[in-house]
Amino acid sequence: MRTLVWILIALAGAAGWAMLALARGETVSAAWLVVAAVGTYLIAYRFYSRIIARDIFGLNNRRATPAERFNNGRDFVPTNRWVLFGHHFAAISGAGPLIGPVLAAQFGYLPGTIWIVAGVVLGGAVQDFIVLIGSMRRDGKSLGQMAKEEINPFAGMAAMVAIFAIMIILLAVLALVVVNALRDSPWGLFTIACTVPIALLMGFWMKVWRPGSVGTASLAGAVLLGLALVGGRYVAVSPVLAPLFTWSGPAIAYALIGYGFVASVLPVWMLLCPRDYLSTFMKIGTVVLLGVTVLLVLPPLKLPPLTPFIDGTGPVFAGKLFPFAFITIACGAVSGFHSLVASGTTPKMVRQEEDARLIGYGGMLMESFVAVMAMCAAAILDPGVYFAINVPLARLGGSAAAAAETIRGWGFTVTPEQMHELARAVGESTLLGRTGGAPSLAVGMATLFSGAFGQHLLALWYHFAIMFEALFILTTVDTGTRVGRFMLQELGGHLWAPLGRTSWYPSIVLTSALVVAGWGYFLVQGVLDPLGGINSLWPLFGISNQLLASVALCVGTTLILKTGRTRYLWVTLLPLAWLLTVTLTASWQKVFSADPALGFLAHARQVADRIGAGAIEPGTGLRLIFNDRLDAALALLFMLVVVLVVGSSAREWILVLRKKKPATSREAPFVETAYAG
Amino acid sequence: MPGDAGRANLTSSPANGPRTSRLAACLAGLVRRGRRALRGITGMPDYEAYLEHLRCSHPERPVPSPAEFFELYLESRYGGGTGRCC
Repeated sequence: MRTLVWILIALAGAAGWAMLALARGETVSAAWLVVAAVGTYLIAYRFYSRIIARDIFGLNNRRATPAERFNNGRDFVPTNRWVLFGHHFAAISGAGPLIGPVLAAQFGYLPGTIWIVAGVVLGGAVQDFIVLIGSMRRDGKSLGQMAKEEINPFAGMAAMVAIFAIMIILLAVLALVVVNALRDSPWGLFTIACTVPIALLMGFWMKVWRPGSVGTASLAGAVLLGLALVGGRYVAVSPVLAPLFTWSGPAIAYALIGYGFVASVLPVWMLLCPRDYLSTFMKIGTVVLLGVTVLLVLPPLKLPPLTPFIDGTGPVFAGKLFPFAFITIACGAVSGFHSLVASGTTPKMVRQEEDARLIGYGGMLMESFVAVMAMCAAAILDPGVYFAINVPLARLGGSAAAAAETIRGWGFTVTPEQMHELARAVGESTLLGRTGGAPSLAVGMATLFSGAFGQHLLALWYHFAIMFEALFILTTVDTGTRVGRFMLQELGGHLWAPLGRTSWYPSIVLTSALVVAGWGYFLVQGVLDPLGGINSLWPLFGISNQLLASVALCVGTTLILKTGRTRYLWVTLLPLAWLLTVTLTASWQKVFSADPALGFLAHARQVADRIGAGAIEPGTGLRLIFNDRLDAALALLFMLVVVLVVGSSAREWILVLRKKKPATSREAPFVETAYAG
Repeated sequence: MPGDAGRANLTSSPANGPRTSRLAACLAGLVRRGRRALRGITGMPDYEAYLEHLRCSHPERPVPSPAEFFELYLESRYGGGTGRCC
């Protein structure tokens, strides 16, 4: 009977893929996308994750977890597995899996969907799960510590550098997404600006006025957030207030930089902690809402499965299908960043070893499902509308009429009236060239939600979606700045001891300013870039994230090696080889490609020529050249770090395999659990 | 363990009392468990669970006030710099 059910699930998944792959000329329902993805997840969870759980690591509920052994009622807490599943999912999910697929939709929905699903079951979920197991069996150690102890100190150091560099690029590119979504949008800016006083109010409530009453404060915060969202509509049409909240891109960028600094310097309870709660509510609520709506509406996909842009001529971002579809999807399939959470708070809360399978592997499957739904939301838009929103204005030709003409040249239709009407319906002045993925995702989500709950609410849903994205991106920005600050303080402590004191104010101010200046520089560079910045920064972010995943998979491979089950090494070596191929090819092309749209150095040469010809002002031109070279240097640094980590890990593996070095694992010794069966 | 406390409370409710009060106790237990699960998922502090932990494992230690507990919680949640993902 059970076998029959699994055969049926496999057949349903296969039918889903077949419908997606074979449909030609007519639109396919999003239902097939969902069926294909969920069928694959179930099969992979049941059969593939079991190999990792049983055959490789031998997860054993008789073995006490760190949560049980070090239970302190605070960070080490044995937690119900479904609650921890939700907690872990909320910590790993962010803007990446929503925005990556929307951008990758320029190739059509099929390549992105295949990678989201195949990448997660063979790569992303494997990485998260193995890092979680490794950390759980080592008293909750971090990825950096495991790299240092299990591979060698050099790999540990390289992992630290990689994490810091990734953090800087990540924060810059996510902040850029927010800037592009909020510039010249009084409604959006008002709502997001309101979250700061709301968070302060919540902070004082739960810390000063009613110490510890977090639930009530959060409920009040959520209600106020709703009011701010509705209030934005009146701000947008008010002749007095609208100009006050209509800000240019650079103005918003500088405000975000200031905000990041203040949030990192203030005590956490004032701003950071309450915002963290607000964005967690929004995240979980919206993901559930999005899932339910897609299943309820099951809209037809209007985007073709493949577009002509797979040849590398795409206007949203440059580069061919291989390797750039894989770089762009980023977090929805494999995210190196998750290895930080899987070796951070989560391993300290796992109640029984076998729960790790649901939490580590299952949590990442859920994240991938969010990415599939984001792909649905992008693919239900008219292709013409999709490109009108996601292509930089400079590339579209500057005006609505020119944009319609340009898009017709690509083989899709959209009229200026259609774009004008859509912008009016969602309460914006224009939607043309709003790059970054967030606005087109919001239009897609608003279309879905209003399809399910009433047409007249389109504008409200659009701004709800924008608020939700901006809110949790800003939470990543403020927590990320703080994490960067801690890393710098730790590093600085080696140079001069007082710098390492995390509560010494001069050190806090100095290191916060350095971190903010780091990502702020790339943010401003992106905002001033005539091609919108996403073009050059998103691939850099994708590369860095996938490279961190490579580092995590090196650690994973070492962990498998040290269990002695060497015939399973392919479980991590397979995704590692693929990620290395993809990321090294992509970084190489970003640096050295002769196409100025793709290669940083070629673009610098093109700008130099244009300065010579007098077509571009020298001051602006020199700045563009400097930025191109900086981006190129960063891509080279990423390549160098990963080659060094993989090289030094491979040396260890060979030494151990040839028995020239004992396979000493730092696993904590077995302790029998006190829990009853 | 968020679930177990609720269950313990359920069994300690008057088993032979009037039907309505049993129902009320059952509902209250469900609400309590739901709230604990929500706190667990969103990462909010759980004062009651901490008191329970102290009672079971360290009955000799002084019991912190809600404000003191909130300090402890902030320190363990944000002290080392927890990141949110991309």
